[in-house]
Amino acid sequence: MRRRLGLGFWIATGWIALVLAAAVLADVLPFARYDETLAGPPQTGPSAAHPFGTDGLGRDVLSRVVYGARVSLGVGIGAVVLGLAIGAPLGVLAGYRKRAADAVIMAVNDVALAFPALVFALAVVAFAGANLRNVLVVLGVLGVPAWTRLIRGATLSFAEREFVLAARVLGVRDRRILWREIMPNVAVPAASYAFIGMAVVVVAEGSLAFLGLSVQAPTPTWGGLINEGRTLMETAPHVVLAPSVVMFLTVLSFNLVGDRLRALSDVRQSGLEPVRQAVAVLPAAEPRPVAGALLQVEDLRTHFLTPRGAVKAVDGVSFTLERGKTLAIVGESGSGKSMLIRSVLGLLPGTGVARGGHVHLEGDELTAFTPEEMRQVLGRRLGTVFQDPMTALNPVRTIGTQVAEPLRVHLGMGRGQAREEAARLLASVGIPDPARMLGRYPHQLSGGMRQRVTIAMALSCGPDVLFADEPTTALDVTIQDQVLRLIHRLREERDMAVVLVSHDLSVVRQWADEVIVMYAGRVVERGTAADVFERTRMPYTEALLQAAPRLTDPAHHRLRVIPGRPPDLAAVPDGCAFRPRCAYAQDRCAEQAPPLLSEGGHLHACWYPTGRTMTENEGADSHGR
Amino acid sequence: MAGSGTAHLRPRDEVLLQVEDLVVEFPAGRGRTVRAVSGVSFDLARGETLGIVGESGCGKSSTARALIQLPPPRAGSVRLDGVELTTLRGEALRRTRRRLQMIFQDPISSLNPRRRVRDIVAEGPRVWGAAAPVNGGVNGGVNSGVNSGGAGRADGGGLDERVDAVLEAVGLDPRTAAERRPHEFSGGQCQRISIARALILEPEVVICDEPVSALDVSVQAQILALLEDLKARFGLTLVFIAHDLAVVKNVSDRVLVMYLGKTCELAPSEELIARPAHPYTRALLASIPGSGLGLPPADRLISGEPPSPVSPPSGCRFRTRCPRAADRCAVEEPEIRPLNGGDHFVACHYPDI
Repeated sequence: MRRRLGLGFWIATGWIALVLAAAVLADVLPFARYDETLAGPPQTGPSAAHPFGTDGLGRDVLSRVVYGARVSLGVGIGAVVLGLAIGAPLGVLAGYRKRAADAVIMAVNDVALAFPALVFALAVVAFAGANLRNVLVVLGVLGVPAWTRLIRGATLSFAEREFVLAARVLGVRDRRILWREIMPNVAVPAASYAFIGMAVVVVAEGSLAFLGLSVQAPTPTWGGLINEGRTLMETAPHVVLAPSVVMFLTVLSFNLVGDRLRALSDVRQSGLEPVRQAVAVLPAAEPRPVAGALLQVEDLRTHFLTPRGAVKAVDGVSFTLERGKTLAIVGESGSGKSMLIRSVLGLLPGTGVARGGHVHLEGDELTAFTPEEMRQVLGRRLGTVFQDPMTALNPVRTIGTQVAEPLRVHLGMGRGQAREEAARLLASVGIPDPARMLGRYPHQLSGGMRQRVTIAMALSCGPDVLFADEPTTALDVTIQDQVLRLIHRLREERDMAVVLVSHDLSVVRQWADEVIVMYAGRVVERGTAADVFERTRMPYTEALLQAAPRLTDPAHHRLRVIPGRPPDLAAVPDGCAFRPRCAYAQDRCAEQAPPLLSEGGHLHACWYPTGRTMTENEGADSHGR
Repeated sequence: MAGSGTAHLRPRDEVLLQVEDLVVEFPAGRGRTVRAVSGVSFDLARGETLGIVGESGCGKSSTARALIQLPPPRAGSVRLDGVELTTLRGEALRRTRRRLQMIFQDPISSLNPRRRVRDIVAEGPRVWGAAAPVNGGVNGGVNSGVNSGGAGRADGGGLDERVDAVLEAVGLDPRTAAERRPHEFSGGQCQRISIARALILEPEVVICDEPVSALDVSVQAQILALLEDLKARFGLTLVFIAHDLAVVKNVSDRVLVMYLGKTCELAPSEELIARPAHPYTRALLASIPGSGLGLPPADRLISGEPPSPVSPPSGCRFRTRCPRAADRCAVEEPEIRPLNGGDHFVACHYPDI
């Protein structure tokens, strides 16, 4: 908690506490009263007797600032509490009840927000009299619409959550749902906004006082002090500076505390955020280019440097890929499969990363490329398709401009030519009526159509390799089939290679030539699809295959349960990372990490690999070694 | 289809839950209406698992929410053990609704991030107090199953033990889990907490809305196995909703296939996979990679994209994507009817038999 809020938060809290304590204890503090004239010689600068100096009437400025805090903080806190007391119930009512209550409250609220607030405050104070109560009430009431809106928004977002629905199914009454389920969640953003609101009110009160429309002299307020000191700016600047600096620091502190509290409302904080640190390079083996390979990845490593240690997202992965082939990378979430292709593509954050290894694309070493050179490669030679087509497409630009853009940027086509080519590309990915589609926006398309558009964009410059990261995970199964068929057909037509990242073994089984199985950032099995799926050697692969339900199994067939969960990449177990969950693990697995061994091109990293005919021999062999 | 009808319903006294001609509609703005569910009927016998399968927008989740009356359906009837839920209001609905419990897709959003696991699971009994068991141990009961004779249920003093027992039943260690908050758990563990929260009230029917779609394969198998164990142990009746036919088949006794708010086919799960009769079921099965069922390629069984539920096609709603569609399909909506006089029902003019 302490560390998450940061030092600035505690300094700010300390300052607010100090000002608050001084204001409360002003009567017993050892300085002259705020209205005692000639407590010292007039207009003298700071001294031991008067740390903030004295004003034109010889009054102690420190005393006046401290007494002024009573008004400024009193109004600040009081107005926020008043605004919250009125606005929060209205906001909760509007957000939770919705329908009529919401419509009425928000309509009134919108009208209220349209009032020029400060002018309204001036008018009311001028009319009703400038005293503490009136200023507080006016500033408090002016805050109500903002509070209503904020609390309504927060309530609405939580009222839609499934845990609220679950509570209603349990039979919990509305009042209890509000108190137990919604209020604790709304409280944090409300507290955050309260501090920011206090800063706003302190400034507003200062403005009113500066105009002489707050508490009247001789009671000091910060705004009033600044106003009084204005005339002495040249002879005794400290009279203006002291209250100004105190007010500035107080407002700053309120804002800082508010901001920090808002960061708190994000409950999920894993401690895995990368630390700010320059990119480091990890040692890697000397490159040994393989002839005939289109894409070659050697000993690739990507480690994120976090406060909890190095997270080894990709830890020594090698593979080669030829034209006309599909390589699939499978694994569960956190296995490093997406990070692997991001590392290949050079799409890593600029800080907190240590990387190593080599990526060769037809003889070019991409890992040595500058960012500018890499940009050229990304559009033209490497195409990418990601899981969520909606985030890959710009919602406010038409399909036509987005598909035509790479054509114009990379291939230098003119506007008309690029549009024609874009229409042709859309037709090639099976989009009906492509000419009309060019003028549409992404939200007007279905998920499957959007994914076809991103595929068209990825293919626009004729890439050598298409990287597809879970391209069909967000799609329905009948659409998934269409999209995977399309990718396969395009691979044949264009003689590309495809890298397909997926968690779905059945997709991989059907569409991949070569398969890499990843676990905890490492390759644990690699081979042809037939090798990996029919002649499985790695116990993890076997367990995954048996854990997935199959249509051909009888109903209520008992699935293989893999105990536990994938390891934390910041604390991968010693030896074999899969050992704690492995049914075949023995002592050796805990002591030594198994190397990735090749068996006629089929690689596996296991001391005791599975395999119907060979298990016993292999087991005996390993013991013998 | 994608049709209507009630030929597949069993006699009322043999079933625990009966849903008839359920209609769910939402306003879609500009005076239009989303026809999410249009006349769906099904029933559940005690101890049975009914799978509901279909693609996004087919109305399966809307059906689930209509069962718990959140929001109540536009029309149709939902009868639990003879009690009509759709006409209940206020307190009576609140009392009856707790006999149905629900497990949701998103394990994170299902749990209040600011409450401890113990409080989340104890919420049901806290609300209902000593009266918590709702069905007098008809199905054995979670509490009587784990407490000896249910002695601990009479007062609040036994609540901690009840929570511990139900957490243990879902495979969590109460000593380490109960005092923590949801964000300290993985998705699979959160789903276990949701199951514990639902089970502690001894519901008669548990509605699982895509309970494993957000989970990894290895964790999915854990949760499916847990549901099967709990079902056997506590005699639960389940509605299991998912888009993945392989998952649905694995846990269900019977499977209902939905398309665009209508029923396509209902059959025992083995029968449905072995002899799919509705063109949509066949397309769905053929689309699953490596299904090994010997069906033609999916692109020969289905084409195009699902139409909008705001303006569904006339007649059979599947006809715009169906290779078998004929003129009749556009004008006449197929009624659900039995095949071979057995327990296999299909709503199609030209089923594959």
